[in-house]
Amino acid sequence: MPLDTSAYSLALLRVDGRRWNELRRMHAQIRTQAAADGSSYLEMGHTKVMCVVTGPSEPGPRRSAVGASGGTGVGGGSGEAAQAEVAVSIVIAGFSSVDRKRTARGDKRILEMQSTISNALAGSLHTHLYPHSAINISLHVLSQDGSLLAALINAATLACVDAGIPMTDYVAACTAGSTSTYAAGDEAADPLLDLNQQEEQELPGLTVATLGESDRVAVLVCESRVQVSRLEGMLAVAVDGCKQVREILDRVVRDKGRRMVQEGTIEKGVGVNDMEID
Amino acid sequence: MASTQHALLSPAELAYLHAALSLTPPIRPDGRSPAQFRPLVAETGILPGTNGSARICFADGTEAIVGVKAEVERTRGGYEGEIVEGGGAEEVVTDVNDEEKKGESDWVEMTVEIPGLRDDDATTAFLGAMISEALLADGGFSRRLWINRRFHWKLYLDILLISPPLSYPLPLLSLTTHLALLATRLPRLKSEGDEDPFFDDDWAAARYLYPRNKKDGKTTARPPVTLLVMAVGNNIIFDPAKEELAVADVALAVSIGEDATTAATATGDDASLMMDVDSTTAAAAITSARNLRLLSIRTIDPPSRLTPSGVPNATNTAYGAATTQKQPEARTAEAEAVEGVWRAPRGGAKPLVMAALVHKVLEKGGIADEVLDALHAVDLG
Repeated sequence: MPLDTSAYSLALLRVDGRRWNELRRMHAQIRTQAAADGSSYLEMGHTKVMCVVTGPSEPGPRRSAVGASGGTGVGGGSGEAAQAEVAVSIVIAGFSSVDRKRTARGDKRILEMQSTISNALAGSLHTHLYPHSAINISLHVLSQDGSLLAALINAATLACVDAGIPMTDYVAACTAGSTSTYAAGDEAADPLLDLNQQEEQELPGLTVATLGESDRVAVLVCESRVQVSRLEGMLAVAVDGCKQVREILDRVVRDKGRRMVQEGTIEKGVGVNDMEID
Repeated sequence: MASTQHALLSPAELAYLHAALSLTPPIRPDGRSPAQFRPLVAETGILPGTNGSARICFADGTEAIVGVKAEVERTRGGYEGEIVEGGGAEEVVTDVNDEEKKGESDWVEMTVEIPGLRDDDATTAFLGAMISEALLADGGFSRRLWINRRFHWKLYLDILLISPPLSYPLPLLSLTTHLALLATRLPRLKSEGDEDPFFDDDWAAARYLYPRNKKDGKTTARPPVTLLVMAVGNNIIFDPAKEELAVADVALAVSIGEDATTAATATGDDASLMMDVDSTTAAAAITSARNLRLLSIRTIDPPSRLTPSGVPNATNTAYGAATTQKQPEARTAEAEAVEGVWRAPRGGAKPLVMAALVHKVLEKGGIADEVLDALHAVDLG
């Protein structure tokens, strides 16, 4: 179904009723799974992803075989290097989209997302602390409604936090788009924050991930044609969105930490005083 | 088919585990009784984008999600040839009795995703085959997907193992599939007869694939479950953990179905539905209370066969055995069973153990009853 963008200029409301600078409902949980070293579940609107982190651990013998078959995106150096290797594998469930579609594991789009996430996280994680080891991040997509890459990056960040791997800061990701298509050539088009599936298919968009509260961009992916004059506005909106996302991720982690202290799962440590336990 | 997970246990540890599990009653590493299932957490209807979905977490942390999607598909060679003759619409018989509702097994497509394994890996394919085999074995399942003589539902079952495969994931995947199918709903058909199907767009009016009673909301028929059972010595142990499976003499995947039809008619059906079971066990397959039916049995190659054997002290040079032993003698010494020294099991299952195993699965108030009761209690929203 084509997206009708003509109504936007009348009320400045998007198809799902949001304004241009509003995120969709974002909900996240960490430590969803007892068996894993780190795990998380994240919803951005109707996009739902799960992440399980194993490691840092000794790279298994199986790993090289999987890598050779093109199953994982690998970044941050090989297993022999002085840095831990970050291997990402994405499984997109057949039931995740509206029409059931089976995506093969060697799909080029998935491979690209894997290496993007792997490189972004390898930059933030202190991989040099774990030489000769591997961090396996496996991501499961349960439901897709746009901003998939952003959701995957956010979920992977949360799971790495849960796994207790030292990292510089959150890698928070978000998408931004523009209210009219490339062909319309509308110079006055407004930027949009956090695209859903419909908008993503019709409008130009980009995915940005920034490192924590800074303006340092860790990931910038743009797969659609867009006039260069619009790019700056889109980027500014996306970076601003990433800061909002970082706040949400931070709150999830702090809430979980506070609850774990209250339940007595972990001991109250140094610096927990600042968390205002009520 | 090897269940590929190897527990890293030394021969001495394996021997100890085997000895503990061979006692009467067996002592399991986690303190369960031989017929006790691990606790699990289950929920259904977690994904609104699917026709039915379920998630199960076992206590050991393994987790699986199953999503069911249905599409309308034209039945191949169904009706096309014969309609033209009738002429008048009144001659077309609109009432189709149940015998005519036939299903085909390719109306169900199942995929299994296990992290770290390729989707064409033997383990993955075997797991998928075992679950779909159990589902289709009772013949009644694909009949539920019948719409009319020209169309049917095509059901896609996607099984996702979220956690790394810590123990052999068959029971987990099977139970999750069971719950997802119970929660599966298909839109209510509005068209009649052999028209092009036209559905009610009100999801609240959608029909369950496994219809349930109006009064208590409980289903009458249920999809099958596949349980993992193993035998050590003469003991039969249900739901083995990874370490227990590592010393199993025999491991079996047993699929059980539950039927709402009366026991009298089930008797005739059962004999023909037995797949790997000879007719002597057919009598044991029917219990009156729950009407459990044995649908299939598959042997699973236990990982214990690939474990290294221990060396008895008598032949161990570190314990002062003569180093000048000749090679053939050493080999015979290895073949003999020595108390307390681990030897990988060889050969198949004893028939008596197999019979006891099947009996135990199907007995009234047994493990199958317990598991089905537990799944019954899950709120299917």
